[in-house]
This record gives sequence, structure tokens and C-alpha cells, in this order.
Amino acid sequence: MPKITIDGKTLEVAKGTSVLEAAQLLGVYIPRYCYHPKLSVSGNCRMCLVEVEKAPKLLTACSTEAADGMVVRTDSDKVKTARRDVLEFLLINHPLDCPICDQAGECGLQDYYMDYSRAKSRFAAEDKVRRQKRRVLGPHLVLDNERCILCTRCVRFCSEVTKTSELDVMERADHSYIDLKEGRSLDNNYTLNIADICPVGAWTSRDFRFKSRVWFLKKAPVACLGCATGCLAEAHHNENVIYRLLPRPNAETNTWLCDRGRMTYKAVQAGDRLAKGVIKNGLIDLEPALREAATRIDEAKAAVGVLGSPWLSVEDNAALALLAAGMKTANFCFDFKFETGIADGILVNKDPSPNAAGAARVKAVRGGLELQAFAAKVASGEIKTVLAEARAAGLIKDALKTSGARLITFATNKGDIPAGAYATLPYASYFETAGTFVNYQGFERRLEPVVAAPEGVKPFWAVVNKLGAYSGVLLRLDSADDAMRGLEKK
Amino acid sequence: MAFKLTEEFKARAEKVCAKYPRRDAALIPLLQELQAEAGYVAEEGMDELAAFLGLPYARVKAVVTFYTMFNREPLGKYHLQVCRNISCHMAGAPGLLNRLREKLGIEEGETTRDGMFTLSAVECLGACGAAPVMQVNEEYFEKLDEAKLDALLEDLRHGRRVAGR
Repeated sequence: MPKITIDGKTLEVAKGTSVLEAAQLLGVYIPRYCYHPKLSVSGNCRMCLVEVEKAPKLLTACSTEAADGMVVRTDSDKVKTARRDVLEFLLINHPLDCPICDQAGECGLQDYYMDYSRAKSRFAAEDKVRRQKRRVLGPHLVLDNERCILCTRCVRFCSEVTKTSELDVMERADHSYIDLKEGRSLDNNYTLNIADICPVGAWTSRDFRFKSRVWFLKKAPVACLGCATGCLAEAHHNENVIYRLLPRPNAETNTWLCDRGRMTYKAVQAGDRLAKGVIKNGLIDLEPALREAATRIDEAKAAVGVLGSPWLSVEDNAALALLAAGMKTANFCFDFKFETGIADGILVNKDPSPNAAGAARVKAVRGGLELQAFAAKVASGEIKTVLAEARAAGLIKDALKTSGARLITFATNKGDIPAGAYATLPYASYFETAGTFVNYQGFERRLEPVVAAPEGVKPFWAVVNKLGAYSGVLLRLDSADDAMRGLEKK
Repeated sequence: MAFKLTEEFKARAEKVCAKYPRRDAALIPLLQELQAEAGYVAEEGMDELAAFLGLPYARVKAVVTFYTMFNREPLGKYHLQVCRNISCHMAGAPGLLNRLREKLGIEEGETTRDGMFTLSAVECLGACGAAPVMQVNEEYFEKLDEAKLDALLEDLRHGRRVAGR
């Protein structure tokens, strides 16, 4: 295995390791634009130039393989001058519209200019090449060709990750620009990753544009609940508002994050967010809504069915299990068998729910009906009143329609409420309350609240607790962890 | 009218592809073939060729736009290509270009209304010894001056000297 010395520090690396990667292992940062660990090496930006002993010229660290006995300097005057010069070139035609650029604050040009250059440009501002700005290319992205430094990360992302190859560099020399087929839209469900990997402000997210300055944003670790893949993500938020979701790359599950997953946060701040209960179509305060729901449950007695949900956390499913036990009904179900596996070869799972595996933990302890059997009992009229989370209720919607069973549902947004629901109780989303989810691989994701729930909206387990109290079932839940008693044997 | 690669072209193209270890390596020769047929590479042609070679459209477009000798628009009957590199420049090419602009009433890259002439300034034609040089379609005209140029234009207008496309 080759032994390489970088800035006086020696390290043995695996064959095939590049100088840049070796430096990273040694804790030496080499600036780069076109290099990305998950994309092929292009070597076009020249920002990673380093001095290698016995090499006549500076070499690009990203495309130079570490060789035995190689002595590399990343801090020599020659390297420093090269970095300054490369930046001067890259900035020749840069519009310097940082005050109105969303990338400002997380921009490779700004950061490296401050770190490695701080030199005055020798090129006249009025000679800058002008290019098309604000091109809306697709549902999620805007392209500013003037800000582009042609690192081709986006081109390689589209050809190597999504394999859709929409983008390429058109024309030549200082006429060149990134483009795609005229009239075509850049829409492959992974496009927002392009805004992430773009080291400058050329690609920006239409959703995030002009919403917030990045230096105001706080970062909270979350997991995406868009499907059973359960990608690790990061919620960027400020003053109780979430602005965007970004991927939290990890070896087990995801490097990227799909566009649909990134938009899941929108429901939290959507206009149809439920802060009150709904009886039929009318909004009503939570307490009377709970009382009404409890009355209907009492009416039905043993003909109540409790349906868990793969969209709820393990704790909240456990709370439902406790409620079913307290009501002494045998009609409950925590069994959701979806086909799992990556559907598109990248991230999107065949199972659209985030926690079927978590619900299965409740089933393992508590037993209960299979979903088919539960639906059959609803259809036959044996179950007259169904308690279910809104999206889970969608799984048995045909049975509900056939029998006209009364549906008491829990929802975060008005748009989720299934047609024909009798009563709907609001609960806090998982950006607002803690919960555990288990992805299709069996990895546990513990979610912590990022923002506060709207006033009066309580976590799911607390709503279940109250509903129990109104119908004479004392669950005595004070926290999500209390609900975990639902995971104890009956 | 939807552009379609003819079966005859496809058969020829397969033979070109067979010369290379990778199918996509035949892209430039096939673009040249397309250009030889129509005088330019049409947008639909790029689409068809991309499908034929199993390449993304963007790649084909990138190649076509990278090389200036691929024309993206139909040319006039005569393509006047004036060399603008150093030898021709010193021997009076700028004067020739100006004269052509005036006489034809078009700028570089444009085609006359009657579809007779397209004017281009090009890089070195490799005939510095006979500067200034202008290439008309496939023919070279060397050691030009204004009088020769005028006579040449007159001849071209009457369909003499060079085969039109």
C-alpha cells in the first residue's frame, strides 16, 4: 500500500486513493469545486492544485493517485499563488450579485475567496461576459448561467446518479454554458440535489429562493418520513419556521434526498394545517370534538375497531394499542405488510409509509388482526366505528365505503382527511414532537421536535390519552415514552 | 415535418460504427455525414442520431455546439469562409471581409435573403503561403484582392467556377 507524505504528515493509504482523499484522511483540507466524493472525477476547476515533489508542474489533487513515496505540499507559496490565480480566473465573469444571491453564506466562491485570495481582480468589470439569468428549468430549480463556474457537477449528477443525462455544457470557451434540450424541463425527482452540490449560486431551489439568509438557519437532524427508506435529513429552521430539508449523507441509507421527500416539510406550515377538531365538515374546538368522538365510541362499545398506522411513530401506535386494550376490543390491527425495497434504483421505496416496521413491533407484542381481516370486519359491519389515523384509514377506504362504518380519524392537515370521516382530531406532526420510526432496513430513527406545534395541537399519544379519558379508559400517559407500555405484553 | 434518418443512412452509419470499439465514438463522423447531406445539422437530426447511437440528446448537442464547423442552420448556396488568422490578416483579410459585408449586406454568420451566400470568418485554412485566402464551399481561392473578389462574386452569381450546394 502506498505511503504518502502530505505537509510533513505521512500516511499509508489504499491503492487507488487520490491525493485529495489522502489529505482529507490526514485532516488537510484541499479546496475544490468540481470534485465530489460521490461523482466521477472531472479535474476541470483546478482549485485543488498541489505541489508534488519531482513533478514539474502543480497537479490536481483530485485526479492524482497517491503513489508510494510521494511528497505533497499544499501550503507552499507556489500552491497559494495558484489558488489565488485560479480564483481570479473563475471570478472574471462572475456577476458578484451576492447581495441578492441565495447561495451567499454557503458559497464556494465567497468562502475560498476569503480563505485563499482576497486579491483585487485585474479584469475590468465592464468586460464581463453576460449570460442568461433566472432561467426556470423544471419544477424545483432556477439556473443562473452567469454565476456558473462550469464545474459540471450537475452534468455528472444527471448522468451518473439519476442516469437521465438532461444536462451538458453547450458551446465552447467563454461562450459555454450549462443547458438542456429546449423546451424540456429538468424533472427527475432528484433535482434539488443539484442545488445542493452546485458550489456556487448557479442552481438554486425555487422553493427556498429569497426565503431566508442561510446564516440565520439552525440545523436539526431529522429523518424523512416520505417513504419506508427513511433517509436521514437535516431540517433548516429559524424562529419556528422550517425553510428546507437537506440530506444528511450516511453510508447505510442515503447520500441524496429526493424532491418529494424534501417537500414533506411543507405540510407542517401549510394553510390547511389543522389546529382544531372537525366534526363532519365543521371546525370545532378540540375538547367538544373529543367529547363527541368519545360519545360515538361509547355507543359502539365492542364494535369499535382500532387501526394502527405505518405513518405514526412506534410510541403513538403503542398508545393506540393501550387504548384498544382499555376498550376491551379485540378489533385492532397493527399489521401492515407492504412490499419494500428501492423502487427507482436510488432512494424511493416501494413502501410509501415510513413506519410499517415500527407498527410491526406493536403487533409482535400485542397481536391483533391482519389488515385484510380488519378490513373484512369493517366491510361486514362487525366493526361499526373505526378509529384510525387519516392515511391508514385510506388503506381500508373500500371497506369503509361498503359498510358506511363511522370513521373517527386523526390528521395533521385538512387535505389528509378521508372523505366521509365523521370526526377528525388534530395532532402534532413529527417535526413538532418526538417519535421513533423504523425504516425498511430495520434502522431506528429517533425524531426530536424541530419547531413548536400550533397552539392547542398536541402530540398523537396525548390526543389518544384524552380520548381515552373521555370514554372512561384511563391510560395515564404523560409522555411518548409512557406509551411504550403498549409494547409490554397484555 | 418530422425528421427521420433514412434506412440508407442507418445502413451506412452501422458500417461507420463498426470501425470503432465503442458505438458512441462514431458521433462526429456521423454528424459530418448528416451535414454533408443537408449542409447543416438540424435539431431533429441530433435527436434521431442520439437515439440511434444510444447517447443522451444533450451530449450530441454539446458536441455540435462545441465544434464551429458544424452548422446549425441551413447555409446559402455558397458558403464564403474568409480566413482571419495572422497571415491572411496581415495580407488584407479584414479589407476583404469588409468588402463582402458591404456588397452582400450581411454580417458574419448571416445568409443573404436570396439564399445565395453565407458569410463566415474562419480560423487558419492552412494556406498561409497564398494569403489572403477564402474558401467557397470546398474550393480555395488564394492571393485575393478586391478586384479578384468582385469577379469571383460575379461568377458565383452566374453559377460559374464553384458547384453550388
